[in-house]
Amino acid sequence: MNRIPFSYRLGMVALVLFALASPASAQETPRMGGVLKVASIGEPPTLDIPMSTATLVYEIMWHVNESLFTYDKGFNPVPLLAESYTVTDKGLKYTINLRRAVKFHNGKEMSSADVVPSLKRWGRVASVGRVLWKYVESVDAKDPYTVVISMKQPSTSLIYGLSEAHAAVYPKESIEAAGDGQLKEFIGTGPYRFVEHRPDRHIKLARFKDYSARAEPANGFGGKRTAYFDEILFLTVPETAVRLAGVETGEYHHAMFIKQDSYERIKSLPALESRIVKPRGWAVAVLNHKSPVMGQKKIRQAFQAALDMEPIMVAGFGAREFYRLDPSLFFPEQPWHSTASAKLYNQHDKDKARRLLKEAGYAAQPLRWVTTREYEFMYKNSLVAKQQLEEVGFTVDLQVVDWATLNNRTEKPELWEVFSTGFVFSADPANHVALRCTFQGWWCNEEKERLLAELQGENDVKKRKAIIERIQTVFYEDVGSVKLGDYFTLDAARRELRGDFRTAPRLYFWNSWLAR
Amino acid sequence: MKIYLLRRVLAVIPVMLVVATVTFLLIHLAPGDPASIIAGPDAAPGDVARLRHNLGLDEPLPAQLLRWYGRLLRGDLGDSIFLRRPVLEAVQERLEPTLLLTTWATLIAVLLGVPAGIISARYHNTAIDQSFMGLALLGLSVPNFLLGLLMILVFGVWLRWLPVAGYVPLDMGLWPNARSLLMPSVSLGLVQSALIARITRSSMLDVLREQYILASRAKGLSERVVVYKHALKNAIIPTLTVIGITFAILVGGAVVIETVFNIPGLGRLIISAVLRRDYPVIQGVVLLIAVTYTLINLMVDLVYLTLDPRIRYQ
Repeated sequence: MNRIPFSYRLGMVALVLFALASPASAQETPRMGGVLKVASIGEPPTLDIPMSTATLVYEIMWHVNESLFTYDKGFNPVPLLAESYTVTDKGLKYTINLRRAVKFHNGKEMSSADVVPSLKRWGRVASVGRVLWKYVESVDAKDPYTVVISMKQPSTSLIYGLSEAHAAVYPKESIEAAGDGQLKEFIGTGPYRFVEHRPDRHIKLARFKDYSARAEPANGFGGKRTAYFDEILFLTVPETAVRLAGVETGEYHHAMFIKQDSYERIKSLPALESRIVKPRGWAVAVLNHKSPVMGQKKIRQAFQAALDMEPIMVAGFGAREFYRLDPSLFFPEQPWHSTASAKLYNQHDKDKARRLLKEAGYAAQPLRWVTTREYEFMYKNSLVAKQQLEEVGFTVDLQVVDWATLNNRTEKPELWEVFSTGFVFSADPANHVALRCTFQGWWCNEEKERLLAELQGENDVKKRKAIIERIQTVFYEDVGSVKLGDYFTLDAARRELRGDFRTAPRLYFWNSWLAR
Repeated sequence: MKIYLLRRVLAVIPVMLVVATVTFLLIHLAPGDPASIIAGPDAAPGDVARLRHNLGLDEPLPAQLLRWYGRLLRGDLGDSIFLRRPVLEAVQERLEPTLLLTTWATLIAVLLGVPAGIISARYHNTAIDQSFMGLALLGLSVPNFLLGLLMILVFGVWLRWLPVAGYVPLDMGLWPNARSLLMPSVSLGLVQSALIARITRSSMLDVLREQYILASRAKGLSERVVVYKHALKNAIIPTLTVIGITFAILVGGAVVIETVFNIPGLGRLIISAVLRRDYPVIQGVVLLIAVTYTLINLMVDLVYLTLDPRIRYQ
């Protein structure tokens, strides 16, 4: 046997010791301190979370305000400010026990006296809150640490709703001061407290020293939250190229929404890493069921049959990493994913489309398709789809407007037939925007409404899954709207930013820290 | 003179009335409103309508217009819907970056443009003239946002000499402030310097052909005295008009450059206000810009007086 020379062995030992001392192993120990700079896409429309459905509002303010529940890795509701809850009286009574000694940023202890008015306001002003409030009979404080919600009829959506960032808990004084309007102060129980908002400059948050974290290890958005940074600055940087340049030079640590075509460049830069937000949402062509043309099932089916999703998604998102062709209403990352009626997705069957149009007696009435360049993918999706639709005989009038105009125009059923949008991630299967009868498009299908009501009352996971599959079948057969595909977005981060911030679909910075 | 001044100042009032009315009508005719922006993309139409009512946006348009006039008469531009503070206060806060940016840009435009124009005229039809005018043509053709992005790439990302974006307020020190404004002012000022150079050159050429220039040369004055003392004073008047307009144009151009370089100035204020339909801010800022435009024009007219004694305003 050959003897290994002493010098060689010494060298090996030194190498091992070096490897142990290298930053690669040091990075496992989180470091306290530093100011995190995040380049965000624009100004949030408000900081009052329940008032808005905009993701940016949640992604900033849920560091400050917490809700009673949140989601774990599998997107199942888990307690956050709540300690536990029980459902009794055949789903008609929810008793929620609150955690003790949880302090607001103003030093006051959180109790049911704050939770009850917060929930009532949520039921009054939040979009989802208002939908769910029709099931709620009353909300009462049983004692300082117990809240009882009595229901008119069972709703499995309630706990999902309470797990959303918009069901945030505020001190009762803040809610009283707001009256019917927006909140005037932003006090919460979160790991970071709100310091200042200088419009078009930054939103500054600072570590909340008295934060009472949960004891369980972090799991998805739930479990223990630790604020490692001294401060977080959300900087408003509307120009994409500047966000990328800034993260490259180290002026920002994290940049939201980088154009997908910069993916290769980010990969080539050793100081940066890409964060693909997967899942983010699905691209969709919403059809107007109140329009005389789109109100006809056969025309909707022809629309669905004509489209070839691959080129549509390539145009919108470029590289394969950023889209996925999948028929399901829910993402494969969720427990509710299904392939029911998959054959009706991505048919690109021109003959079938032509036949259906003929049967419907379609006389080339123009489809007014409202889209926007503010979200480039919506415009590009619609451009390719228009071409495919015209090949089978549709007349498409593409109307490119700004986002505000799109939202306004689509509220009026007489002004459009189709519009582009993206449906972002929804954890609650019973309350997905695509299934709401009140949402623009007004897809109110008797069978679907019946199944949704059934889903609201069903707690068994297997049975729920079966109901969801049936809903998906109705969605495809009646063509509620036309799903184009799943899409993912790209963020860029510097390598010194470590921790959990990559968790999709929403961005958060507790449990993340800056190395060095 | 005093009567002239008074008349000019009074003439601002009807101009403002027209501007106020047109702005109000235009932005209210544009579809979309603040309520749908606040409520976000997934909000139900009912939620938006409720918010619209809370914000007082469901009143008839004439009623809203009258209320806006009434406020204007009291010198009140209203409160921003998103910033939830008086428009005037928001404008004051944004004035510093925009004023500094446009002043620097104008300075760069003048310091580069005027000498380039004079030298080109003096060496008319030589290689110097042609290269200067070639550069000016290039300067005029490159959009300022493209120049800005290229500068970010070169000086911010490759060379790392300057910050890629962002604004450092003046109270944090003159040097950091100037450093943060260097790239934006150059990309804004360069285009205008090209314009100024071309105007100065052509007006210098006109003047240099005048008989009094011939006379001064005949008197044996040095070329330097002829050009800088006798010709320049007369040639500068059209340039001055352009400089005045330049300053005003730059306030408009700042809208783009402020977005590219992430400077929280008036331009950014108005862009975000338009995107989220913050009516009071759009109305207020457009009105203030109109006032500034008119006042700059008035000031330019008054400067003519001191430069050219033949000009008399009645």
